Amino acid sequence: MASAAPATARRRPPTVLIVASGFLAATVLLALAAPLVAPYDPLAQSVMARLRGPGAAHWLGTDQFGRDLLTRILYGLRASLAISFGAVGLALLVGGTLGLISAYYRGWTERIVMRVMDVLFAFPVMLLAIGIIAVLGPGATTTAAAIAIVYTPIFARLLRGPALVVATSDYVMSARSIGASDARIIALHILPNLASVVLVQMSLLMSTAILVEASLSFLGLGTQPPTPSLGMMLAEGRNFLLLSPWSAVFSGLAILFVAFVLNFFGDVLRDQLDPRLR
Amino acid sequence: MRRSFILSRLTDLVVVLFGVSVITFLMIRLVPGDAVAIMLGANAEVTPERMDELRARIGLDQPIVVQYLHWIGGVLTGDLGQSLWTRRPVIDEIAVHIWPTIQLAGLSLVIGAALAVPLGVLMARLRGRGWEIGLQIGSVAGLTVPSFWLGIMMILALTTLAPGVQMLGYVPFSQDPLGNLARLILPAIALALPILANLARLVRSAMLDALQQDYIRTARAKGVSERAILYKHALRNALIPFVTSVGIMTGYLLSGAIVVEQVFAIPGLGRLLLGAIAERNYPLLQATILLVTVVFVAVNFVVDLVYAWIDPRVKT
Amino acid sequence: MKRLISTAALVAAMSVGAGAAGAQVLELAVSDSPAGLDPHIVTAFASFQVVNGTVYEALTEVGPDLRIRPSLAESWEVSDDGTTYTFTLREGVTFHDGSAMTAEDVVASIERVKSEAIGSPLASRVAAVAGASAVDERTVEMTLSEPSAPFLTQLASIAIVPSAFQADAESLQQQPVGTGPFAFEEWQPNNFILLGANEDYWRDGMPKLDGVRFNIVPESATRQVGIASGQYQMLPNIDAATALQLQGRPGVVLQDTLELSYTLIGMNTSQPPFDDPLVRQAVNYALDREAIVQAALFGSGVPAGPLSPALEAWARDVSEFPCYQHSPERARELLAEAGVETPVKLTMLVLPRQDIRDIAQVAQAQLEAAGFEVELNIPELGTFVQDWRNSNFEIFASANAGSVDPDDFFYRAFRTGGSTNVFKYSDPRVDELLETGRTERDEAARKAAYDELQGILACEGPVAHVAYGQLYTATREGLSGFEIIANRSLSTLAETSTAQ
Repeated sequence: MASAAPATARRRPPTVLIVASGFLAATVLLALAAPLVAPYDPLAQSVMARLRGPGAAHWLGTDQFGRDLLTRILYGLRASLAISFGAVGLALLVGGTLGLISAYYRGWTERIVMRVMDVLFAFPVMLLAIGIIAVLGPGATTTAAAIAIVYTPIFARLLRGPALVVATSDYVMSARSIGASDARIIALHILPNLASVVLVQMSLLMSTAILVEASLSFLGLGTQPPTPSLGMMLAEGRNFLLLSPWSAVFSGLAILFVAFVLNFFGDVLRDQLDPRLR
Repeated sequence: MRRSFILSRLTDLVVVLFGVSVITFLMIRLVPGDAVAIMLGANAEVTPERMDELRARIGLDQPIVVQYLHWIGGVLTGDLGQSLWTRRPVIDEIAVHIWPTIQLAGLSLVIGAALAVPLGVLMARLRGRGWEIGLQIGSVAGLTVPSFWLGIMMILALTTLAPGVQMLGYVPFSQDPLGNLARLILPAIALALPILANLARLVRSAMLDALQQDYIRTARAKGVSERAILYKHALRNALIPFVTSVGIMTGYLLSGAIVVEQVFAIPGLGRLLLGAIAERNYPLLQATILLVTVVFVAVNFVVDLVYAWIDPRVKT
Repeated sequence: MKRLISTAALVAAMSVGAGAAGAQVLELAVSDSPAGLDPHIVTAFASFQVVNGTVYEALTEVGPDLRIRPSLAESWEVSDDGTTYTFTLREGVTFHDGSAMTAEDVVASIERVKSEAIGSPLASRVAAVAGASAVDERTVEMTLSEPSAPFLTQLASIAIVPSAFQADAESLQQQPVGTGPFAFEEWQPNNFILLGANEDYWRDGMPKLDGVRFNIVPESATRQVGIASGQYQMLPNIDAATALQLQGRPGVVLQDTLELSYTLIGMNTSQPPFDDPLVRQAVNYALDREAIVQAALFGSGVPAGPLSPALEAWARDVSEFPCYQHSPERARELLAEAGVETPVKLTMLVLPRQDIRDIAQVAQAQLEAAGFEVELNIPELGTFVQDWRNSNFEIFASANAGSVDPDDFFYRAFRTGGSTNVFKYSDPRVDELLETGRTERDEAARKAAYDELQGILACEGPVAHVAYGQLYTATREGLSGFEIIANRSLSTLAETSTAQ
């Protein structure tokens, strides 16, 4: 890494990081608390009250079945966050493990694993995701699985590089020499050193995962009704664009918001870790 | 040294492309639902025997390995096969659909790059002021705005503000240059925003970096043409991150185009792909996925080489 | 300032593009790209809409009043036993390639549909034809293996193509050649299909347009904006939700008619719980069809019985079916009587089409109020068709095409082993009635058979008929002569003209 660039004006006020973390925490809390704070039942239909604009009874209006948009957006936030977290978490688990294994054992293991990762990485994101969903069938779980597969090579690559450095570093060498087990070395010495890099990557990828989920749902391949995800709400809302654009407008804004919060957090955190990039 | 680097990269490339072809082929065959059933539609009156006849007609009755070898053999000899039902050569279908996508992606890249330089410089200028955080927020928002949603919102806004404007669909450039650009400008803008945000950030940090350099300070102290040196240095500085992000941006454009083409009714590769999936047009689907992926891989390959060339620290 | 000017220039350029596109070429926007244009091979709706009655014609045709009328056959005679049809062909009809249409072409077209090499899904429609022969240039004789009441209706779906294509399964897919008012000109895949006027068309003074362009626009919102802004002049065959948004838009006119096709909830009668007629009845009681029409079709439609009310001569009124009274209590009673464990857990396979998705969501809520627990599975179209065809479902929501003859509604779907009997439904009495309906030439006896059949199918059949929607076509103002037809054919484009 570059020299520490200590006393220059590059130091960011940590307030930005605090604000970014605050936003992220608030968003996650809001999503988790959806059943408590949402004013209506997300599935309750009411033909009389459909396609309303924002008003006193329904702050953001209603969709084509008269379901409350605010409620559905809160629940949708939950579904979208769950899908993206599940996808990125799974990718981290699988990809990260593969990356660490490659770095630690080297040789043929590394060659084969990384080649397979290269092949997966060779596909443009949407192309591979669409293909996988075509095979697995649409739905929240399969969407998460598809995104996870697409992101697996990213984590494999991300963790392999630093892990290589750490694995050949003095303290791992010495740990090895005193007979510590491989798993123990990986868990105690290699992983902690990578935590911050991983956190940055996770929040950035969760942000794009939200967008990929939205794109897939837009194409009719993502989450299935009646469970609201933000992407599916946008997909349904766009059918009523001329008559009542609220559903499409607000669910799109919600997607933008949650993707933004995640990305902003990752961005700020990255700045903190590597001030050179500022 | 350099040759061995290129050679090893080429070997990797071949291995990856082989893997890509296998995954593409298998993935498509694993998709449930077969072409014959779809072509007939949900209501057709047809006996199972009749369906088998149709299946045999398009070669779907052979073992999968035979089908793969047959296909890959064709691909290697430049024969991508024929579209399932129209019997049009797949290569022709792709040739028709590739131009709108290239144009759309190219236009987005141009718009993004052209605006990124002044915006990045502005962002660097405003450094340390209250504006800075606003610009950071803006650039992150630019990165995360869903392009298809932006597209829909633009269509909606324009219908309200300027009804009667022709902005949907596609006219070949050769037929009507103005109409062609007019129809592509909105989708290109929708697709360009994340590119703009990304590049502007690169320009900004390169600019800041340049400002820190000793000789710039010296130049400034001497009062000589600071500006020229600054720009020259900053832009050269931005080159390396720019080159590395070309690969990412290509991937983004190829992915984003799939959805944006759908919104604006542009007959590009994304539409070809979705259409081919919908009708389980295996030869067409295989060729399209393979082609798009090969383009993506090739771009990344070139990026690697260029990167190694401009940054000699990178070896093997 | 400079920017303002260039924006203005761009806007001007956009608008000019429209005018110059050709005043008399009608711009339509449709959602799907056809898989091919051979009328004997691709029967999916996306292809039908483009070529039926425009490029291709048949011996008979369905008029806007849904009655069969002569088309390429000027007249016909039927032998007393109902098994020999003698058609007299119209004079002076030529194909788009310039050759004259003769009796030989008609015979070749029938043979082509029957041939195994072509593998036409329409084969069953001419299965009754034991032999077809050209008596002379303008006379065709067809003998049937048994009398067939729906025969003339079925012939309306058999396009007449030049005999040169009899054994050619490929050429027509890309380059259709027919006798219709419009001749195929250009197909830019995923962009548009352009048809030009057939100058030698046999109907005098038609077509009035210079051409018709089917723009392929996958996004519903984009199509709507396109017609609102005048870029497209017609959105054919749209659903109520789309029509609702275009209602009252300046410059947009809507035409509507009651659909022949119906939305339905189908049940797999080969496995529990729907092998029990009581459970099927319970589904009928659980559904509130009025509410579905209101919620999913925006009030544009009517609750569906087994036959479309558009077939006035045949359809029974839904008030005659007891199970059409919405009653969740009765549904629960029936489930108890059937002895199934409640809530009855089901996965509903749903056709990925917007109106069907909406109907499924409303039906899901209604079924859950009546002792069922329903999960929706909305796969991608190819998967849906596959699962549907293989009876790989417990219950599904979909749409079934209708026809102008009751036989087309029922025979293939409900006869034991019928080609679209994915419900695996089998009832000897139903089979008997279906045969009577098909072969009986006495109208009253035929009507009696279908009346009884509707009674059986309505409550205990494998299908809970949901609704006949209102079918719309949106056009720009100033378009005249176009008339919407419930079977979704655009054949009246021949008579359409634009102002100017």
